[in-house]
Amino acid sequence: MEIRPILSALMRSKVALVLIGLQIALTLAIVCNALFIVSQRLQLMSRDSGMNEADTFTIGSLGFGAGFNIKTSIEEDMAMLRSLPGVAAAAPTNTVPLSNGGWSTGVSLKPEQKTSTASSAMYFVDEQGLDTFGAKLAEGRFFTADEITFREPGDNSWPPVTVITRALANKLFPGESAVGKQLYFDNEGAPQTVVGVVERMQVPWIGFASDEGPDAEFYSSFVPQRVAFGNFGRYLVRAEPGRRDEVMKAAEAKMTQTNQSRIVREPRTLERIRAEGYQEHRAMTIILIGVIVALLAVTALGIVGMASFWVTQRTKQIGTRRALGATRSSILRYFMTENFLITSLGLALGIVLTYGLNYWLMANYEAQRLPLIYLGGGMIALLLLGQAAVFGPATRASRVPPAVATRSV
Amino acid sequence: MLKMNHLSKVYRTHLIETHALRDFSIHVREGEFVAVTGPSGSGKTTFLNIAGLLEEFSGGEFWVDGVDVRGMNDDQRSRLRNEKIGFIFQGFNLIPDLNLFDNVDVPLRYRGFSAADRKRRIEETLSRVGLASRMKHYPAELSGGQQQRVAIARALAGSPRLLLADEPTGNLDSLMARGVMELLEEINRQGTTIIMVTHDPELAARAQRNVHVIDGQVTDFDAEPQLRVPAGNDAAVALA
Repeated sequence: MEIRPILSALMRSKVALVLIGLQIALTLAIVCNALFIVSQRLQLMSRDSGMNEADTFTIGSLGFGAGFNIKTSIEEDMAMLRSLPGVAAAAPTNTVPLSNGGWSTGVSLKPEQKTSTASSAMYFVDEQGLDTFGAKLAEGRFFTADEITFREPGDNSWPPVTVITRALANKLFPGESAVGKQLYFDNEGAPQTVVGVVERMQVPWIGFASDEGPDAEFYSSFVPQRVAFGNFGRYLVRAEPGRRDEVMKAAEAKMTQTNQSRIVREPRTLERIRAEGYQEHRAMTIILIGVIVALLAVTALGIVGMASFWVTQRTKQIGTRRALGATRSSILRYFMTENFLITSLGLALGIVLTYGLNYWLMANYEAQRLPLIYLGGGMIALLLLGQAAVFGPATRASRVPPAVATRSV
Repeated sequence: MLKMNHLSKVYRTHLIETHALRDFSIHVREGEFVAVTGPSGSGKTTFLNIAGLLEEFSGGEFWVDGVDVRGMNDDQRSRLRNEKIGFIFQGFNLIPDLNLFDNVDVPLRYRGFSAADRKRRIEETLSRVGLASRMKHYPAELSGGQQQRVAIARALAGSPRLLLADEPTGNLDSLMARGVMELLEEINRQGTTIIMVTHDPELAARAQRNVHVIDGQVTDFDAEPQLRVPAGNDAAVALA
C-alpha cells in the first residue's frame, strides 16, 4: 500500500485536506447527533399509549340555550351512543391521550404533604371507561356503576376510589401492590383508595413532568365521575373492529338529530389525535432527516468535486505513473486510498466534534448521551460514502492513458 | 532487444484517418544507443510511445526483449513496461508532491519489491546520478538538470533492459544537457540499451546509430553502427 507517500503528498496540499477534512468532521458531528435525535423522536412517537387507538374516536357536545341541561344531555347521549349499531363501548371523558389538553394534579401519600410524590393526569370516566379506552386491567378492579357520580361545577372534592396506571403505582408504592393503598389528590382532603391498576395509559401531554423521569408520561389516574365543562361534554366511543368510520358518521348524525339545542363538535379519531399530537415531533424529524440527507449529499459532492479536480490537475502525473508501470487498478486504488485517508483524518476530528456537540446539546437541551453505535455507524457510513463518491473520479483517473506522459501539453 | 516488423499506427476519427507510422521496421540490439531524429509530426513520439508500450499499434509485429507484445492486455503491457523499460521524459515528469526518494520509489512499488530492496535501489541510483544527499528534497528545490538526473535515477532504479528517452535534454541549457548526455552515455556503457528521440543533431551524433523518421517511415540510418557487443554476434543493425 502507498499510504506513506500518499499521506506525505497530502500534507503538501494542506488547505484542501483541511477543508474537506473539516467538512467530513462537521458532517459526522451533525449527522450522528441528528440521527440520534431522529431515532429518539421516532421511538417517542411509536410508544403505545395503552389504549385502543384503531377503533376509537371522540365526539363533543356544546349546548346552548336556557333549557339545555348538560347532566341530562350526557346521560341521554351515553344511552344513545351505546345503543348505536357497531358501538362496542362508549364513555364520557374529559380527555384522551395525546390530545394536549386535560387535567392534572399532584398526588401525595400523606395529607397536607408539601411536595407531591408524583404528578398525574386525571381521566374522568364512568364504569365503561376501562372497556371504552381498551385499557388492560393489571390488578384489582375497575369502577362499578354505583361508584359513578357527576362532578358538579365548583366541586373540588375527589371520589373515595381511584384506578391508577402501573407506572404511577410503581412510583407511589415501589415494590408492592398499590391495590388497597391510599393516596391524596391535590395533597389535601379525604384520601382515595386505589381499587385497581391498569397496565398503561399515556397522559394527554407529550413531555409531561419530564423532571419526574421518562415514566411520568404514563402517570395517569382514573376518576369515577362524569364531568362537564360548562355546557361542553366529551365522549369516547369504541367501535367494533373495522367499523369506526361508519359508526363515527352515524354518531355525529344521531347526536345532531336528537338534540337541536347543541352543536356537535367534529368527531376525531384517535389516529388523528395522535398525528396532531406528534405534529411538531414529526416536522422536526422530517427537517432533521432533510438536513442529514442534504449534508451527506453536500459532503459527497464535495468529495466528488475535489477528487475530480485532483484527477484533472494530475492527469500528467497519472499518465507518468501509468508509464512507469502502474496498472489501471493501481491508479484506482491510489485514489480510493487517498480518499480513505482524507476521510479517516476528517473522522478523527469528527469524533471530537460529535461528542462536543452532544455535550452542548445535553447541557442546553436536555439531550441524552450519544450512544457509541451512532458514532460507529456514522463513521462507517461516511467512509462508505467517501469511497462511493470517489469511485467515479478514480475510475476516470484509471482510464488516463499512459501516453499522456509523453504529451507536451 | 526491440524489434518492429512492418509496424503501422493509424489514428482514426469518423472524418479522417492519419497514418502516424507505416511499414515501420527497426531492430535495436542489446547494448545499442540509438538516436531517433526527424521533424515535428514525423512520428518519432508515436514510435517512442509504441516502443514503450504506452500505445497500441494498428498492424505489424513487435517484440520487446524477445516478448511478442501483440494481443497483450493493458495490465500485461503495464507489467512488461514496469519490468523491462525505463522512461526519461523531456519535461522530467517528476511528481511535485513527492520528495526525490519517493519519486524514485514510484516504479519500484508497482514492481512489488520489498521495502529494504527498494531503499537500497533508490539510494544506489540517486548516488549514481550524484543526488544521494538530496533524497528528502522536493523537485521544485532542484535545477532542471538535477530534476532530469532524478528522472534518470527513477528510470534506472528497476534495472530496466531498455531506456527510452524523449528529448531528454530538450528543457535544459547546454551545460546541463551535456551533463545529462554524459550520464546517458555512461549508463549505456554499463550495458543498458538506450533509444533517444531528439531534435538536436549534436546529441544524435553522439549516439552509436541514428535513425531518421519522416512521415512515419524510416528514411535514413547509419549503415555501419559501432556496436559494443561480442564478436560473432549478429550485431549489425537490421533495418528491413
